[in-house]
Amino acid sequence: MKSAGNDQPAVRLRGVTKRFGEHPAVLGLDLDIPTGTVCGLLGPNGSGKTTTIRMIMGILFPDSGKVEVLGASPGRGWRHDIGYLPEERGVYRKMKVIELLGFLGEIRGLHRRDARARALQWLHRLELGDWASNRVEDLSKGMQQKVQFIGTVLNEPRLLILDEPFGGLDPINQDILEAIVREFRQKGTTVLFSTHLMDQAERLCERVCLISRARKVLDGDLRELKRRESRGVLALEFEGADGWMRGPEVMEVERAEGGFHLLLREGADHGEILRRGLAAGAKINRFELVEPRLHEIFVKHAGPAAADADPAHVSLQGGPP
Amino acid sequence: MAVIRREYLARVRTRWFLISTIGGPLFAIGLVAGPAYLAQRSQGQIRRLAVVDRTGALSAGVSGRLVEGGYRVESAGTSEEAERELRRRVQEGEIGGYLVLDGQTLSRGRAVFRTRSSPGTVRSLTIRGAVVESALNLRLRQDGAADDVAALLNGGELEVQILGAGSETSPGSGLAAGFIGAFLLYIMIIFYAVAVMRAVIDEKADRIVEIIISAIRPWELMLGKIFGVGAVGLTQLAVWLLMGVGLLAMGLPAMLAAQQGLVSVDELTAALPSFGLVALFLAFFVLGYFLYSALYAAVGAMCSSEQEAQQAQLPVVMLLVVPIVVLSTTLENPDTGLMSGLSLVPFFSPILMFARAASGAAPAWHIGLSLVLMAATIGIVAWVAGRIYRVGILMQGKRPSVPELWRWVREG
Repeated sequence: MKSAGNDQPAVRLRGVTKRFGEHPAVLGLDLDIPTGTVCGLLGPNGSGKTTTIRMIMGILFPDSGKVEVLGASPGRGWRHDIGYLPEERGVYRKMKVIELLGFLGEIRGLHRRDARARALQWLHRLELGDWASNRVEDLSKGMQQKVQFIGTVLNEPRLLILDEPFGGLDPINQDILEAIVREFRQKGTTVLFSTHLMDQAERLCERVCLISRARKVLDGDLRELKRRESRGVLALEFEGADGWMRGPEVMEVERAEGGFHLLLREGADHGEILRRGLAAGAKINRFELVEPRLHEIFVKHAGPAAADADPAHVSLQGGPP
Repeated sequence: MAVIRREYLARVRTRWFLISTIGGPLFAIGLVAGPAYLAQRSQGQIRRLAVVDRTGALSAGVSGRLVEGGYRVESAGTSEEAERELRRRVQEGEIGGYLVLDGQTLSRGRAVFRTRSSPGTVRSLTIRGAVVESALNLRLRQDGAADDVAALLNGGELEVQILGAGSETSPGSGLAAGFIGAFLLYIMIIFYAVAVMRAVIDEKADRIVEIIISAIRPWELMLGKIFGVGAVGLTQLAVWLLMGVGLLAMGLPAMLAAQQGLVSVDELTAALPSFGLVALFLAFFVLGYFLYSALYAAVGAMCSSEQEAQQAQLPVVMLLVVPIVVLSTTLENPDTGLMSGLSLVPFFSPILMFARAASGAAPAWHIGLSLVLMAATIGIVAWVAGRIYRVGILMQGKRPSVPELWRWVREG
């Protein structure tokens, strides 16, 4: 179960479309998540991440297209092999922590005593051991989030689906959560999580899928993507006026590392920028095509400027070979 | 199933459940028994009377009546000395008073009651009634009149016989059982059905519903809730029933009857519902609860807050209010075609058919038919409610319009 090259993907979406009334939430989405990988589902707010995840979970059903999870269509026996943390997290506030976790384990097919024993281990590990008999409402927001996370992983899932898992957590707890996700990855669990925090995704993911305005813009192996996009970012350091940086080749200018990162349009001639700079009399100290950060890939394909690009451009960025 | 267990325990463990289940009947009993007990305490001595019978013929009759009225009566001698002793006992509060019967009692119905404080109206009436009745009886017998004249004087008797239905319930007790039972049904059904709605709204508001329906199907969750909450209702009813049986066994009604001095034990036992009626009550509660809790679950799924739900539940409440409004008419005329028709409407059956059955007016096939109709309706309502529920629980914000609801049902 460890190799990423497993034949059957843990999740497979084919031509999945979902509309709410007239409003398209997901359009023609194809997605493969190989077994045993950590995959980030990235996109701006309202791009269709949560809808996609809900369709994978069988909570919503696509208008058309096909969803396969662990080799079957959603809604059957595999629920016990999945851990799911929704974006909108909830608890029974009046229940005791240990009872809530017992209940959550039970509905995922664990025996109640088992569920409670595992829950206690997790609570101790996340330094909530003393709170087991407290009511959930007595816990702070952060502690509640940890309890919710425990509820998600209690059944040692083969597939872990986390919708914005890091939202609202302080940095320390974010690190703890990251460590646990890595641990599950080591054990062969497939992890799909959605986020708009690019740094987190960059650290954790082997694969990413970028969606914007209901459509997939990019997906594939993160390192490969970066290599493919490496001609797209120009690092600049210079002294003097900076008006010459902007031009038809440049999508966006960002401050970075004591200078600027210029996001270039597809097929842009960066020599043109250099010529303009020299003509403007700038003293250029650095002029280098660099590997883009995920954030830059994100902005390039899903940012406001990308909206103006023609659809052909978008489809050109489709799946990896 | 886990959901049922959770719903059940979450409710049964609350202080509120304990209070209402144990406290409710205690409160009701207290309401009846409390005053009686207080009255008895304060009147313990007052209720002890002595009778001084100078006629030598009346004391047996008068004492008998007074004992029936709840007094403890002793006969006393007619000597001066004996009367002095009685005076002393009255003044020291040992007895409530003593009654002197003499020639005037026989001729004019006049008697003297010597007591320390003024007796209340009821006491005066009771004592006077006892005296007059005994005197009258004696006089009639002396004059050679037959017993039947005495019976006439006593106000006669009206025996009501119901033709056709072949039921043995007496109409009076049936009326009471029908009214109280129907009302209790109404309260219990609406109370627990609304509890289901609350639970649905809370789960929506707490946002936990998504986690749960990622693991179990929405209709399983809905049914789990309905069963769990329903089990709480049945538990409550069972506790009440047990308490009722226990109190009967302890002879409480007899005690009450004795102390009140108003109703006899026989009358009270006759007013108690029969075993069959209790079973019918449970059947109507279970079916009515299922019907309405499914409706309320759907209403809860449509709304995001309790305030919203208060408006949205109006049509459902109307369904329950109609039978309550016509309840008294039903009990007065349980046999008309209109009432038969209304009581067969599944949404009204729990209350109206029970009332008709309790008053002995509903033929068995009406009751059977209404139960079957209700079961069938539950099937349909649960199906529709389940579909509304499955779409609704994930919706936040605006309440759906009727066309939107229809779309949910079709697409759900």
